[in-house]
Amino acid sequence: METLLIRHEELVEKISQKIVEANNIMREEIFRQLLSYEGPFCDVLRRNAEVAKTKGLPLCQDTGFIEFFIFTPFNAIFQRPVQESCDEAVMKVYSSRPYRHSVVSDPLYERRNTRTNTPSICHIFHWGENRLQIRLLIKGGGSENLTTLFMLPPTADDEELLERITEHVARHGSKGCPPLRVGVGVGGSADKAMLLSRLALTYSLNEVNPDPRYELLERRISEKLNQLRIGFQGLGVGPTVFSVHILQAPTHIANLPVAVSFDCYLSRIGVMEVEPVRIESRRKN
Amino acid sequence: MIVMRDAAQKRIEMFLRKGSNVPVDLKGKIVFYAGPTRIVDGRFAIGPTTSERMDRYLKMLFELGVLATVGKGERSETARKLCREYRRIYFVAPSGAAAALSERVESLKLLTFENLGTEAVYEIQVKNFPLIVAIDSEGTDIFELIKSTGGGDRA
Repeated sequence: METLLIRHEELVEKISQKIVEANNIMREEIFRQLLSYEGPFCDVLRRNAEVAKTKGLPLCQDTGFIEFFIFTPFNAIFQRPVQESCDEAVMKVYSSRPYRHSVVSDPLYERRNTRTNTPSICHIFHWGENRLQIRLLIKGGGSENLTTLFMLPPTADDEELLERITEHVARHGSKGCPPLRVGVGVGGSADKAMLLSRLALTYSLNEVNPDPRYELLERRISEKLNQLRIGFQGLGVGPTVFSVHILQAPTHIANLPVAVSFDCYLSRIGVMEVEPVRIESRRKN
Repeated sequence: MIVMRDAAQKRIEMFLRKGSNVPVDLKGKIVFYAGPTRIVDGRFAIGPTTSERMDRYLKMLFELGVLATVGKGERSETARKLCREYRRIYFVAPSGAAAALSERVESLKLLTFENLGTEAVYEIQVKNFPLIVAIDSEGTDIFELIKSTGGGDRA
């Protein structure tokens, strides 16, 4: 069987580049949304994209607690543990640039800043492709505090799901730097649903669920949330959400977990791929 | 303005509980809920954090003489009541705009609690800083107004 090698140096290099890009350059589809917004603070928000790009400053002072979704060929070997490669990239970028160290070690007692912005969060999955894909999510603490989990009864329907999400956003939406992007994980166990809700946030605005029923539900949630008229900055003008992305998974007969994660209007995400090096190829006789 | 957020306020509360002197004078000051990035070659970014988390310390700030607070997002009923009671104001500054806001900063100086990193207490001087009154001294809340009128363009 063929074995693939993922080089540590290359991984660190590519991840570092993506982190900087996501923090400093407003994504085109987000900038287009911003251009069509005429309301409170619209000038300063547009100016922000310009200043960040030209001065090498981050779009937001909260440069996040970085989350990586790593899809690797099952037959790949790594020169270092993936977590180490990711953390090395984060450390390198966050110690050389005007970014913020926002990670504390012990969560309850000392809460001492690690001063490296590490550890990052790494989720590793095996997939059938021959290349490595890393999806990156840089999210601030404000939108993270909006995260929620509903353990719905298994007999609940989409209407109930829609209502619970709407209720939650109506109450808390203005605190997560709207227009929000909403990631919904449906099914699995509580943790699986949560993981899916976060992975869903790494999709672009126009990526929809391949199942037409879920695609319709994404649209319905989006329309309902936009009727809340929370708007940019929570000040009532413009959309409440840019997009809603659902990922679903098989679940237990007694459960219907629904996890909802939110991202702020900046949507600092990235996708990168690494071509592994083939180190061994042996044919069957 | 004085820049401080969660950790510094928790520490000030601890000082007060122990009966020690608070190492920063807040009398007549405006508190900006924020944590700046690191300063690299004189460059940094700063912007507001979610104010509602700070509601538990708002009474303490007003007792210490703070005139107004600056942050982002809707606050709780507690904050509205306190603004009315002490006749204080809450402003929102644009969030997710830290690079642009840094252009309006004239100086940033560390005051105390250095070991909190970005959560230390700073003194900041700003010019043409964009703000909107979100709770006035009568306790009137712009976010409530927006909700009750069905949108910001009507509020």
